[in-house]
Amino acid sequence: MTKRYWNITLEEMMEAGVHFGHGTRKWNPKMAPYISTKRKGIHILNLTRTARFLSEACDLVFDAASKGKQFLIVGTKNKAADLIARAATRARCHYVNKKWLGGMLTNWYTTETRLHKFRSLRTEQKTGRINSLPKKDTAILKRQLSHLETYLGGIKYMTGLPDIVIIVDQQEEYTALRECITLGIPTICLIDTNCDPDLADISIPANDDAIASIRLILNKLVFAICEGRSSYIRNS
Amino acid sequence: MASLTSSLSSLSLHSHTSSAAASSRFSLLPASKFTFSLAAARPRALILAAAKCKPSDDIDTSFFDNVNPEEEVPFNPPEPPEGFVAPPSFDEGPMESEDEIAAAYEELYGPAYSGVSVLGNDIYVMDSKIKRDTGFGSKAKKEKVKDGFEERVVQVRRVTKVVKGGKQLRFRAVVVVGDKKGNVGVGVGKAKEVIAAVQKSAVNARRNIITVPLTKYLTFPHRADGDYGAAKVMLRPASPGTGVIAGGAVRIVLEMAGVENALGKQLGSNNALNNARATVTAVLKMKQFREVAEERGIPMEELWK
Repeated sequence: MTKRYWNITLEEMMEAGVHFGHGTRKWNPKMAPYISTKRKGIHILNLTRTARFLSEACDLVFDAASKGKQFLIVGTKNKAADLIARAATRARCHYVNKKWLGGMLTNWYTTETRLHKFRSLRTEQKTGRINSLPKKDTAILKRQLSHLETYLGGIKYMTGLPDIVIIVDQQEEYTALRECITLGIPTICLIDTNCDPDLADISIPANDDAIASIRLILNKLVFAICEGRSSYIRNS
Repeated sequence: MASLTSSLSSLSLHSHTSSAAASSRFSLLPASKFTFSLAAARPRALILAAAKCKPSDDIDTSFFDNVNPEEEVPFNPPEPPEGFVAPPSFDEGPMESEDEIAAAYEELYGPAYSGVSVLGNDIYVMDSKIKRDTGFGSKAKKEKVKDGFEERVVQVRRVTKVVKGGKQLRFRAVVVVGDKKGNVGVGVGKAKEVIAAVQKSAVNARRNIITVPLTKYLTFPHRADGDYGAAKVMLRPASPGTGVIAGGAVRIVLEMAGVENALGKQLGSNNALNNARATVTAVLKMKQFREVAEERGIPMEELWK
């Protein structure tokens, strides 16, 4: 794997506020190597290390995409929900941006049942059969459909378990991370100063609160995925 | 200078480290590709489980196993290629229409569960993956799992949960699953009927399978003892012709592993499940002579002195 150029500059990372951590009281001492200083009661991350990890993550993602692997992006913070959806549609990946239902991956059999139901509801909606029932039934089915759309909308094209999972906030998505670990799926995680860097396979120390910083990192990863995909399409 | 080159070499993803340094989940050797297959499960949970679904080993994430975060490595990104234009962020740019998105996804993944097919593929393509079960009442499909594992029930117990209305009875089955060639697994399962409990426990057992280091004479390489909870088990190899001399749960585990000659003793409690698990821990502690010789870097003859 050659080192490619991913357009990662320290200046733009500082602009986006990637280097800000959480308050000093909430830190996880395992993050000590990645924290450079403390300023005004907030830990500041070491951006050179972040940049290194980010470029390695991009390389990994590029190689995986060029082999045709499937990705899943998980991020359920309200602020970042839209971002995740747009980033994933842009990169043509699966995503989860509303609540991560427990057992989505470990209990894949049940999730598949729900997806089947989702599909049948969608076909009914398309053919218009949903309106030819009594009002109450229609209302019930429509409600079910909207529920399934919010929770499973991003994974409706997923036929099996994903190959790489990208998680945006480790504290928030702890269940998702644990599921991937039990199943042995490689994970890329955005780590902040209160998270554990040893859990994920590749952890990128960054700020997970500011939308700008999530946007920046997702940008790089999405770019890498797109490049990898296009090389996959070119080669096959 | 030396530190710089060494740190740069640690950056390369062509890992030259020996496989001993690899993380336990990924192998660095380009071994056989693991294709994970999740066979569809029957509703009665008779899952043909491929234990853990491991991803293919060609995703090499071993970069982070030997990285020293403390070192001061300057950030030297490679030069941008000529004419490099930064791509627009995914937020900017025109919003794609739903149809375009659906078409792009469908090109990549097929129509899957979306229910609508923009490119004209068959939307019911996922149905063939799930086998319909036509059982009415009890299982009509007899699950003779063909993966060569034999099951043996160690213990079936009736356990109760006391609720306001009375006692709720369930059965708990402990089952040991093994081929007689060195792979065993211990599993527990609870259900309202004995057979269902046995099946659940068999599924569970298939999920945690371990390999027993066997020697040529179908015995252990050396003594070991393991404990789980209050159960302590001592295992000792024996000369050929001895047979398995051990009690209850320990004997069943060793027999299913294919061990022919061994001695075992339950030293702590007599609980069957805990003893089975303790034998498993004992066996995990065992190493073959070859492994020890490799690790210590000495010829095997030294070990026999």
